[in-house]
Amino acid sequence: MTDNDQAILAAAEMSPRIARYSRTFDYLIVVIAAFLVWSVTHIHFLLFAGDWDFFIDWKDRQYWILITPIVSIMSAAAFQAIFWSLFRLPIGATASALLFLIGVWIVRYHSWEGMAYFPLSLVVPATGLVGAMALDCILVLSRSWVITAVFGGVIYGLSFFPTNWIYLAPYFQPAEHMGEMASVADIIGYVFPRSGTPEYIRIIERGTLRTFGDSANWVSAFFSAFVCIFAYSVFWLMGVAACTPKYIPVGYRFKELYGAKIDAGAV
Amino acid sequence: MSKILKKATLLVLAATTLLFSLMDQAAFAHGERATEPYIRTRTVHWYDVTWSTDALNVNDTVTVQGKFHLLNDWPDSVSLPNLVFLSNGSPGAVMTRVESYINEIPARQSTKGLIIGRDYDFKLVMKARKVGQWHLHPVMNIHGAGAVVGPGEWITVSGNEADFKDPLTTLTGNKIDDLQTFGVSRVQMWQFGFGLIAAVWILWWLRRPLIISRWLVVQKGRENLLITPMDDKVAAGLLVLLAMVVLVGYTRTTSEFPELVPLQSGSLSAPPLPKPPHAVEVKFKRAEYDVPGRSMRLSVEMTNTSDQPVSVGEFTTANLRFINKSLPAAVAAVSSKFPKELVPRNGLVIDNPEPLAPGESRLVNLDTTDAAWEVERLVSFLSNVDSRMGGLLFFYDGKGNRSMSEVYGPIVPVFKKTI
Ligand SMILES: [Cu+2]
Repeated sequence: MTDNDQAILAAAEMSPRIARYSRTFDYLIVVIAAFLVWSVTHIHFLLFAGDWDFFIDWKDRQYWILITPIVSIMSAAAFQAIFWSLFRLPIGATASALLFLIGVWIVRYHSWEGMAYFPLSLVVPATGLVGAMALDCILVLSRSWVITAVFGGVIYGLSFFPTNWIYLAPYFQPAEHMGEMASVADIIGYVFPRSGTPEYIRIIERGTLRTFGDSANWVSAFFSAFVCIFAYSVFWLMGVAACTPKYIPVGYRFKELYGAKIDAGAV
Repeated sequence: MSKILKKATLLVLAATTLLFSLMDQAAFAHGERATEPYIRTRTVHWYDVTWSTDALNVNDTVTVQGKFHLLNDWPDSVSLPNLVFLSNGSPGAVMTRVESYINEIPARQSTKGLIIGRDYDFKLVMKARKVGQWHLHPVMNIHGAGAVVGPGEWITVSGNEADFKDPLTTLTGNKIDDLQTFGVSRVQMWQFGFGLIAAVWILWWLRRPLIISRWLVVQKGRENLLITPMDDKVAAGLLVLLAMVVLVGYTRTTSEFPELVPLQSGSLSAPPLPKPPHAVEVKFKRAEYDVPGRSMRLSVEMTNTSDQPVSVGEFTTANLRFINKSLPAAVAAVSSKFPKELVPRNGLVIDNPEPLAPGESRLVNLDTTDAAWEVERLVSFLSNVDSRMGGLLFFYDGKGNRSMSEVYGPIVPVFKKTI
C-alpha cells in the first residue's frame, strides 16, 4: 500500500479492518460495474449506430466516420461522469470503450462467425478506445468536464478515423470483380451473403460529400469532432444527473396502498 | 433437489427446447412462406429455374438460373421494382456468392428501373463453403417491399470445410490468400495492443482503495489526495504515447497502401428481355378459392391470336407449378430435378381438353386442387386487404412452342362450389 493509499484511508477514517472489508466490497462492485458498463455501452451502440460498425462493407468515408464516434462518445461520457463525480476515478471512458470492444469480439466469434457463418473479415469492428483513453487523461489533467468536452471531444472525434485506418486500410485496396472495380471490403460483403440484407440498404456517401474529393475522410472526421463536443456534454450531464440522489414525494394514498398505517392527523 | 427447484429446472428445459425448435424452424423456412400471398402471387413470378447440381463438394460451384416475370397487376401496397437486389436465400453464409447477373448485367450491387409486365433472366453462381444440406433459393429484394423468394432446392454439400478458400489478387498485385481471414490478425493485433494499454490504465486506478474510501474523501473535500502529481504525469505520458502511436501508425499505413478506394456504391440498370411469345389473349372472368376443398378455380375467356392451335399447359403462381398432365409438352417442361413439393400432384385440370383453334374464343374453367395451397400458406386470401390473385399461364402449340400470358383478378373465398 502506497503512502497515498494510507492517506486516503486516513482521510476516510477507515481502520485497517474496515479498509479490508471495503476492499472486498471494491472487488464485488468492480465486477458488477464491469458487466453494467459493458451491457449499457453495447445496447446503446446497437440502438444508435447499428450496422455501421457490423460489416466491413458499411465502413464508408462519410457515415461510419461520422456516426461511430458520436454514438460511442455518449456512453463514454456518461460513465466518465459517474465515476468521476462520485469517486474521482478517471476510468469511465476507457472502461466503456474497452469492455465494449471485448464484448464486440465475443459477439463476433460467438454469433456472427459461430451461428451465422460470417467470416471475421466481414465483421471486424472499429474501436474508439484511443479516443476514450485520451478523454480520461484530459479529465485527469484538466479536472474539468468542460475542458474535457472541448478538447477531449475534438480528439475523440478526430482520432477515430486515423486510429482505425491503421488496421482497416488493407480492406480498401482496389480489386476487379465481374468487370467492375470494387474495394476488397465490397467484395467480402458480396461474397459472404447476408440473406436479409440487400445491398441497397447500405448508406454509402449519400449527399454532397463528393465535392470534397479525396479528403472525404477528414471532412467527416472534423465534423464528427465538432458534434462530439456536444454529444459529450449532454451525456456527461446525464451521467451526473444519474448519480445525484433525488427524493420523489409519494402521496399517502400510495403509501396506504402498500400497507402503511397513515395517522389521520399527519395527512 | 427440492420440488420447486425441480419444477424450475424442467420449466427452463422446456422453454429452451421450445426456443431451439422455433429457431430450427426459422432456419429452415427462411421466409419463403412468410410473405403475404398477394405479394407472392402478384409481383415476381419465377419460371424456368434450374440448379446445375444438387450435390457438391466444398469449393465447387452451383449455378442457379432462370427467368422472372413482373406481373402487371402489381399490388398498390408494394413498392414498384425501381431498386432491387438479386440475392439468395440460405441460412447465413453457408455458400458464398461468386457471381450474379440480371440479364447478363452484373448484379453485385443493386439494379434499378425494372419494368413491370416484363421478363428478366437471372444467374447466380454460388460456391459451397459449409458442409450440410442447404435450401438454396433465388431471392429478389425489392426496395420498400422486402424479399420475394423464388423456388428452393436442397443442395447437399460434402467434403472438408477447412479446405474452403477464397483467394483474390488486388489491382495493385497484392495476393490475398483467403478473404475469410484477410486482415483479421492485423486488426486483432492493433486492438489487442490498444486494449493492453487501456487495461494498464484502468489497473493503475483500480489497485488503490476504491469505492467507499474515495467516496468519503470526495465528500470531505480532500480531492487533492485522489489525483496525485504522479497521476498527472502518467496521464500526460499516455496522451503523448497515444498521439505518437496513432501518428506513426497512420503515416506508415498510408505509405504502405498508397492506392486505396472508397466503398463502391451505385446501381446499374438492366433493360428487360424481349417480350416472350404471346399466343393467347386471356380475359379474366372469376376466381374463387374453395376453402374446404383446398381448390383454386379460375374462369377465363381465352382467345387464340396465333396461327396454331394451342393448349393450356401450366399455371404457375407463388412458385407452385400446376401442370396439365394430359398435355405431354407441359409434362416434359418439368425437369425431373425440379423440387417435387412445388409441383402439386393433382396438377391443372381443364374442363375442355380440346386445343384452342386459331382465332377461337372460349370460356375455360381451370381447377387447381391441392393441399399445397395450405402448405404454402397461400390461403390467407381471407385476411388480406387486397384479395386478388395472379399468375402466369403457359400455352403450347402442336410443335411444342411455348407462349405465356398473365392472368390476374379478384379472388372470392367460397365455402360451396359456384364455378
Ligand atoms: Cu428454403
